[in-house]
Amino acid sequence: MKRLIALAALLVAAAALFVAGRTSGAEPLTLTIAGSRYTVTVLIDPPRTGAIVVDTRVTSGDADGMALSAVMPDMGHAMPELAAAEREPGRFVAEGELFTMSGVWDVSIRLTGPAGEETLTAKALISG
Amino acid sequence: MIRALLLAAVLVVMFAAPAAAHNVTAGADLRIAQTIAGAEVTLVIKGTSRVPGPLRIGVVAFERAAGLPVSLEVRSLTGGRTVKGVARAAADPEYAELRVEETGPHQLTLRAGDEVAVVPFRVLVDRGSAGDFLIYGGLFAAGLLLVGGLLTGAVSRRGPAMMLAAGAAAGVTVAAMVVVFEPMLPPGPPDGAAPTAQTQPAGGRPFAQARMETAPAGPAPGQEFTLRVDLTDGSTGRPVDDLVSHHEALAHVVVTSEDGRYFRHVHPLRTAAGRLEVRLRADRPGRYLVYAELEREDSGGQLLTGEFAVDGDPAGAATADLPAAVPELRPAVPVAGRPATIELPADGAVRPWLGMAGHLIVRSQDGSFLGHVHEMGTNGTRLRFTFSFPRPGRYLAWAQHATDGRIVTMPFTVDVAEPAG
Ligand SMILES: [Cu+2]
Repeated sequence: MKRLIALAALLVAAAALFVAGRTSGAEPLTLTIAGSRYTVTVLIDPPRTGAIVVDTRVTSGDADGMALSAVMPDMGHAMPELAAAEREPGRFVAEGELFTMSGVWDVSIRLTGPAGEETLTAKALISG
Repeated sequence: MIRALLLAAVLVVMFAAPAAAHNVTAGADLRIAQTIAGAEVTLVIKGTSRVPGPLRIGVVAFERAAGLPVSLEVRSLTGGRTVKGVARAAADPEYAELRVEETGPHQLTLRAGDEVAVVPFRVLVDRGSAGDFLIYGGLFAAGLLLVGGLLTGAVSRRGPAMMLAAGAAAGVTVAAMVVVFEPMLPPGPPDGAAPTAQTQPAGGRPFAQARMETAPAGPAPGQEFTLRVDLTDGSTGRPVDDLVSHHEALAHVVVTSEDGRYFRHVHPLRTAAGRLEVRLRADRPGRYLVYAELEREDSGGQLLTGEFAVDGDPAGAATADLPAAVPELRPAVPVAGRPATIELPADGAVRPWLGMAGHLIVRSQDGSFLGHVHEMGTNGTRLRFTFSFPRPGRYLAWAQHATDGRIVTMPFTVDVAEPAG
């Protein structure tokens, strides 16, 4: 009987994990944003506070410069811009700190190029 | 032990409910009033139950809008695909059907006359419930284990057979528990929902600040001009681009002349991030007061104020003042700080507008106070409002309701007495 209870408890725990798993994103975090001039795919690895690497590919549009910034709308926190270096045509990598606490952040990607400047924004869930 | 774990499971999913912002889900339409091309309309985006799937968009006509063609362009902000259509404004509109390919953030560009509005929204589609998975998963596992138990039992291995039978019982238990507790479990977040934190910060977002100006500056009487409201987040300095539909509009803007003879209640268009614009015309020179009522996501409503001037000689034929209404007041002389009831007959059959039967805007004579009161308990032929005027003195008031093809505005004044003693 004890075994039965233990097994049932295990199953319930697994069920809880499954339900919780549906709500939390996998790592690293990938965001695709289609603007009117540029489309980017942003890889945030890991989506956490502290030092991170943001690897961005410009999949549409000709960008020659990129800077990232973030705000946490619920708290009114704003972070300075992080310049991204163009590692190869259409691929930009930024390293540094973009998020200071866990929660939902608005990540802004400011792109420049012959077509003009455009800032693309997407929401990212950041863990502690 | 089981109970504790189950409770934990319930709690884990409780905090996953998405915040409703510009979400379009099946059964929950997004309604946004817009003042566009001189017309007053309400844009309706109906949800879809699947993607790829149809997104139905209609434009409900309220004033000077019947038959107005509104061109629609929906673009996915993740996939980048654009689809176009046209909606014709009508009291009971036909819905244009646009195909969306995915869930998540989209934007709708509206064009009517030479005006353009860009409305951001999210397409959400409900996923199958986690409960179903657990019920069928539990029963399926129970079935497998029972068969295993019978087979092992048949070859006389009592220990393992018991284990498998116990497992089967546990599977059935989980399924049964889910059947019982499923109604208590909120569904998982729908596909396309914005990410939400496990714990929602309390207190709401920072304040928004408005810069209000006209283009051109100091418009002449009778000349059409654009009133522009630029919203800035008080903590980050960024444009405020998270307005939710508050009483069916991104912002309710009331413009009155200092003397109260001019009154407009309009719904500006979002033309860029943090920017709202509406076209207006005023016949008389003077100072005009602007009040914008809006709500940021995860926050409450707020009122932002500004002003502008109309310069020059009065336009040739100024529009006539609206006839003053004579409302019934209870008490006959309202007392500051105590509820007063204002009742007046409707002009024509009342049609719900901005989610309510009627609206009452009250402004203190000096313009330092503005109230927006909702009609309570109409029978369709009369409007009734209850409001506690905060201070004694004269108030300018405008009662509004929609009827066939127009919005009725009834101006009057209310004199509020000081409480005795
Ligand atoms: Cu309004």
